[in-house]
Amino acid sequence: METFVQSIVSGLLTGSLYAMIGVGLTVIFGVMRIINMAHGDMVMFGMYGAFLSITFLKIDPFLSIILWIPLAFLVGVFIYRFLLRNIVPAGELNTLLYTAGLSLFIANLVLLIATGDYRTIKLKYAIMPLRPFGIAVPIPLAIAFGMAILITIALYWFLVRTDTGRAIRATSQEPEAAALMGVNVGRTAIITFALGTALACGAGVLLAPSLYLYPTVGEILVAKCFVIVVLGGLGSVPGAIAGGLLLGVVESLGAVYISVPYKDAIGFVIFLLVLLFRPSGLFGVGKS
Amino acid sequence: MALLTVKGLTKYFGGLRAVHDLSFEVQPGEILGLIGPNGAGKTTAFNLIAGFIHPTRGQILLDGESISGMKPYAVTRKGIARTFQIVKPFKKLTVLENVTLAAFLRFPLRGEAESQARQVLERMGLGSKIPALAIDLTLSEQKRLEIARALATQPKLLLLDEPMGGLNATEIEQASGLVRDICKGGITIIWVEHVLKAIMNSSNRVVVINQGEKIADAPPEKIVENPDVVAAYLGTKKR
Amino acid sequence: MKKIVIALAILLLFTAPWIVTAPFFVHLMIMVLMWTVLGASWNILGGFTGQVSFGHATFLGAGAYTTMILFLKLGIAPWYGIPIGGLVAALIALPIGFICFRLRGPYFALSTLAVAEIIRLVALNWESFTNGPVGLLITTLPDVTFWGRSIDWENKIPFYYIIAIITLAAIVATYIMSRTRLGAYSLAIREDIDSAEAIGINTVQARVTALSLSAFFAGVAGGFYAMYLRYIDPDAVFSIALSVEMVFIAVVGGLTTVAGPLIGAIVLVALGEIFREIFLVHFKLVGHLIFYGLMMMIVIRYLPEGIWGKLRLKFGSRH
Repeated sequence: METFVQSIVSGLLTGSLYAMIGVGLTVIFGVMRIINMAHGDMVMFGMYGAFLSITFLKIDPFLSIILWIPLAFLVGVFIYRFLLRNIVPAGELNTLLYTAGLSLFIANLVLLIATGDYRTIKLKYAIMPLRPFGIAVPIPLAIAFGMAILITIALYWFLVRTDTGRAIRATSQEPEAAALMGVNVGRTAIITFALGTALACGAGVLLAPSLYLYPTVGEILVAKCFVIVVLGGLGSVPGAIAGGLLLGVVESLGAVYISVPYKDAIGFVIFLLVLLFRPSGLFGVGKS
Repeated sequence: MALLTVKGLTKYFGGLRAVHDLSFEVQPGEILGLIGPNGAGKTTAFNLIAGFIHPTRGQILLDGESISGMKPYAVTRKGIARTFQIVKPFKKLTVLENVTLAAFLRFPLRGEAESQARQVLERMGLGSKIPALAIDLTLSEQKRLEIARALATQPKLLLLDEPMGGLNATEIEQASGLVRDICKGGITIIWVEHVLKAIMNSSNRVVVINQGEKIADAPPEKIVENPDVVAAYLGTKKR
Repeated sequence: MKKIVIALAILLLFTAPWIVTAPFFVHLMIMVLMWTVLGASWNILGGFTGQVSFGHATFLGAGAYTTMILFLKLGIAPWYGIPIGGLVAALIALPIGFICFRLRGPYFALSTLAVAEIIRLVALNWESFTNGPVGLLITTLPDVTFWGRSIDWENKIPFYYIIAIITLAAIVATYIMSRTRLGAYSLAIREDIDSAEAIGINTVQARVTALSLSAFFAGVAGGFYAMYLRYIDPDAVFSIALSVEMVFIAVVGGLTTVAGPLIGAIVLVALGEIFREIFLVHFKLVGHLIFYGLMMMIVIRYLPEGIWGKLRLKFGSRH
């Protein structure tokens, strides 16, 4: 029983970060129909950013998020404005291929610069896990979870209470109607992409103390997060959050009750099973 | 025997009732008009008959054989062809290729399929446009291409989804003539339309749908006199 | 005129190793041909039907492992194993297609990625069957006499001819497909799937057929890979990078063109070799991947019909 609860808790903690990455992806998806294969590499940026912060700047990685999120936002603006915006009119397929090329480029550039050595971040205050109610909770993961929640709440406030946020939601549901209503679709697109990128990067920063860093970590992350997004429903923020948490829990339970090496496969297997029996996704919107 | 029989056709999208207990028959060789205010369920009915969506309840019979629940390509193979309200040509292919693809259904060899396609295109007045890319055609030509493509599958029943949309008065005249010619060629037609004049002039019979239900089923002259139909389109006067 | 060019090309194909004899260049030509087959394989699905697969390594790996295992465990020579590998790949394509084609466009691409990853992880962990991460190794290839002479497997030339024949088969298959109903139907599916259904095309069947044909050639190439390189492991033959490289070749060369994959393969291998020399860093020879990524972006942006596709448009011919 204790193992079960432990599993669920670990799963939720990791899942919250999957959720954050997934939200970034789904929002970009929903507003611009861009399949961003390079999204995982944005997470990787965040991870290396955190690593650089502690190694060279001697700043705690969790604090460094203040630096990296705005920076990632700007990188997102740059990527969309100068690279992606020209490709989007060529169609979803071409965009997919383009971002795949971008991902290949970025990941291997980093590999060239940073080498493929696995790196880790050791934090002085993170050696022993917390033990609330006897459940082991690694401190970095707990902090990450907490910050992810704060960020999600901030995001919620932004999407629901601000004009820009509402513009994003409107465009994601009905781009033409939104344009007719006076929404500056172009500007909304840039902001959305930058936002999604910033979320991914932020998640990377938060995850860095808890995972191994290597340049191609983006590959498998983006695959998992697409699974989340498709299962949770294209463009649906609550869907991505639920999907992320679910994936985290399922992987955690799978690692304990099935086997550790196959845990990465679990998400994909569930994905395919869902496709088989419920082609429209878990929450109803799976086809394009 | 009726060519197409629709019995108790019902479709719910979640809680939304799109079509309810719709029943009508289409006799071979006739032109049946399907009209009704916006959102009445006409296109849904089409999609149900053509197999693009499946009914919640009810039956669809072609020549006495049930086709409800069949996939679109199977329905086409059985002899029902359809056009789309917003034309969907294969844009980057030529006019000839567009129709050849459809002809392949009955003529698996390229040579035969192509010559069939040419014949259909000539009949539709698109002979001169054969090498052109579909995307380079005018709207009126694209609509004719859409119909040519449907005809190349040698259907018994042709479903036309608002073919007059976006056409000017002359083009509407021509198109109506075209529809009548197709019918004279032996193909039964169900025609959804908003341009009432065109449909009233060419149909043998008209079915009126409002809010997913049939409210009238009669020859055009009787339909215009039907108070329910008038009310559906214009609303009732409040006294 | 075109027939003369084709005849010359085939002549060149079969005499090349006698013209350029240095083993390094023969190796390069072998790699170019192998990647041409992989590009052609991907093209049969992606180029014709427009379904982008990001998991084609699945079929390559299936062919590779089939050939290896048949040889190492059952003593079946690779020249039988290779076509069997292709068939195995074609067979597994059937259930994969039926599941994945429920989705469209990018969702389909994703599902193929998911399948590829699952299979890679299975291959990695099912050690009793695949030897896991350790991989499988061929030490000696069986003796064969051909017209009285024993084949020297240390020489690259026999391998060259095997892959040359496979390449020819793949290109011929692509050409035949483009002339038949399957090829035409595939283009329709690529353009507009609903319209295709409306004119009587069983789009699931057509796509699964294309996928199966595509998988066959990827599997055959995989079997060849196993036989030529003599060593395979799950990360070599089931990786996402491999899948992406296949996409790259088809895209850069030119989707739907018959000769496109050849051009794409030449570019891929040439670039690969140039940058491998410049960027040979650590264990991972990755410098070239940076440039694949960059080229992919440049091609999509400025040359979406691919290099060969663009040239073809300029000179107005069909293939």
